[in-house]
Amino acid sequence: MRATLGLPVLLLLVALLIVASFMLGAVPIPLAEILKIGQADFAHSFTLYQYRLPRAVLAVLVGGMMALAGALVQGVIRNPLASPDVLGISNGAGLLAVCFITLFPQSSAGAIPLVALLGSAMAALLLWLLVGRYPSETRLALTGVALAAFFAACIDFVMLLNPQEINTALLWLTGSLWGRNWVQVQLLLPWLLLVPVALLLVKPLNLLALDEQNARSMGVNVPLVRFAALALAVCLSGAGVAVCGPVGFLGLIAPHVTRRLLGSRHQLLLPGSFLVGAILLLFADLVGRVIDPPIEIPAGIVTAILGAPYFLWLLFRIK
Amino acid sequence: MFLFLNFRKILTIVVLAVIASYSAAATVQDSKGEFTIDYEPQRIVVLEFSFVDALAAVGISPVGIADDKDKDRILPQVRDIIGDWTSVGTRSQPSLEVIASLNPDLIIADISRHEAVYEDLQKIAPTLILPSRRETYEENLQAAVVVGTAIGKQEELEARLAQHRQKMNEYAAQLPGHARVQFGVARDDLLSLHSENAYAGGVLKTLGFENPKVSEEGAAYVSTGLEQLLAINADYLIFGYYSNPSIVHKWHAEPLWSLLKAVQDDHVYEVNANTWSRARGMMAAETMAQDLVRIFAEH
Repeated sequence: MRATLGLPVLLLLVALLIVASFMLGAVPIPLAEILKIGQADFAHSFTLYQYRLPRAVLAVLVGGMMALAGALVQGVIRNPLASPDVLGISNGAGLLAVCFITLFPQSSAGAIPLVALLGSAMAALLLWLLVGRYPSETRLALTGVALAAFFAACIDFVMLLNPQEINTALLWLTGSLWGRNWVQVQLLLPWLLLVPVALLLVKPLNLLALDEQNARSMGVNVPLVRFAALALAVCLSGAGVAVCGPVGFLGLIAPHVTRRLLGSRHQLLLPGSFLVGAILLLFADLVGRVIDPPIEIPAGIVTAILGAPYFLWLLFRIK
Repeated sequence: MFLFLNFRKILTIVVLAVIASYSAAATVQDSKGEFTIDYEPQRIVVLEFSFVDALAAVGISPVGIADDKDKDRILPQVRDIIGDWTSVGTRSQPSLEVIASLNPDLIIADISRHEAVYEDLQKIAPTLILPSRRETYEENLQAAVVVGTAIGKQEELEARLAQHRQKMNEYAAQLPGHARVQFGVARDDLLSLHSENAYAGGVLKTLGFENPKVSEEGAAYVSTGLEQLLAINADYLIFGYYSNPSIVHKWHAEPLWSLLKAVQDDHVYEVNANTWSRARGMMAAETMAQDLVRIFAEH
C-alpha cells in the first residue's frame, strides 16, 4: 500500500466497519432505517444509541489503544514477538481481577475495571523492579515472559480453587464488548489523551530502531525513551484490558499487519497500528455477533482464532 | 336484618373493587431494593430458567427466554404450559438487541449473571432482578413468590406453592428418608458435588434425605476426586452428566470405585443433569422427586 494513501484508506475501513456494525446483528437494521436517526419514528433507538454505537466506539478505542501499546513495546524491545501480553501486563490485570471476582463474588461488577487497571500497574511495577534501572531488551522480554507465565499459572490456580466463580471470571478473561456501554466509553476517554503523547516518541523510536549505540550517539536518552514508551504502553493496554478484558493477540498482530502495510517508520506505524487495532476489534466483535445470533461470541475468542495461526506463521517465518 | 346484610354486601363489593384497582400495582423487594410496577405485564422476557418455572407455575408465557439457544433446556412440562418463545441468546451473555426488539414490559434477570447489564436492561423495560444461580431451594421458592407478586399473580402463586409443598410431602412419604443421598454433576474432567446448601441438596433434604457433609466451609458446590468421594461414601449416588463419557465413567475402571458403598450396593443412578442442576423451580423439584420415587421403587 502506498504509504501516503495508507492512513486514509485505513480510516475509511474503520468508518465502513462502524456502519456495518450499526446495520448487522441479531436484529438487522437496513441502512434506510438507520438514516432516520433523530426522527420521531425511529424504532431502534435503544439498539443503536445504547448498544451498537457505544460498542463500536469502544471497539475503536480499545482496539486502537491495545494495538498502539503493542507498537510501542515492539519499538523499544525491538522484538516482533513482543506485546503488552508478553510483558505480563494483561495477565497481571487478569490475575488481580480473577482474585477479586473469586474473593468477593457478591461485589458489583462495576469495580472490575479499577481492579484490573491496578493489576496492570502492579505487574508493570514488578517488571520494572526486576529488570533494574538499565534494562536490556532481552532482559525486559525474558523477565516479562516469565512474569506473564507466572501470572497465568496463578490465574489457573485461583480458578481451580473456586470452580463456581469461573463463569464470571472466564467471561471477563476472554475479552468481550458485551454489556459495555457509554459508562465504559467515559472511563476510557481520559486515557485517549495518551495517544498524542505517544506520537511525541516517533523520532527517538525511529532512531532506536537502528540500534542502541547509534541512537545514543544521535542524542537519544535511551533509558528515558524506553521508560516513557513502556509506561505509555502499560497505561494504554491497562485501560483497554480494564474495560474489555484481555483481548488476545491484538497488541501483537495489529502492529505487524501495519508494518507490512505501511512500513516501519513510526510516524506511520503508530497511528496506523491504532487504526488497524480498531479495525480488528470492530471486525471481531461484528463476527462474534452475527455468526450465530442471538448467541454472542466474545470478541476475544474471535481475535484468538484469527491471531493464533498468524502468530504461528510469524514464528516460522522468523526462524 | 335485611338492610344490614345488604350493607355488608355493599361494603364487601366496595372493598373488593378497591383491592382490584390496586391489584395491578405491586411493590416487591428485589436484589437492588424496591421494585414497583403499576400494570400487569404482558410481554415478559426472562433471563434464567428458574423464573420460567415460576411464570409457568401460574400459567404465564414469556415472550423471550435466554435459553442458550437450546429449547430442550426448558423442562418439557414447562414448555407444555408456556408454548413458544423467542430465544434471546445465552444466559451468560443475552443479546440486548433481541430483548429490545421484543418490546418487553418486564424483564426478569439474575443478580449473579446480569448485574453488569442491569442499567442497560432498565433502559429497555422495568427490570426485576433476583437471585437465581447458586440459590438454595428455599430462596428459589421465595423468588418465585416475588415474581408472582410482581406480575399480579400473588394469590395464584401462593396457592401453587402450597400445592407444591403438599406434593413434596406426599413424595417424601413414598421415599425411605434418612438415607445419605449425594447428587453430583459430572463433566469430562470434573465432578461437582451439590451439598445441602445447593438447590438439589435442599430438595433432597425436603424429601427427608440426609446430605453427606462434603465441605467444611459449607460450600454449595464442591469439585471432588474419587478419593474424596470414597471418604464421603454416601449410601446413594445420583449423577447427572453434562458430558458422556464423563470423569465418573472413567472412574468405573479404577479399583477405588468398587470400594464405594453405593457401588457395592448397586445404588448409583443417573438422572437428567439439566433438570437437576439447571432448571430449578417448583416443577423441577417435583420432577426430581418423581425421579427419586421411581429410583427407590425399582430397587
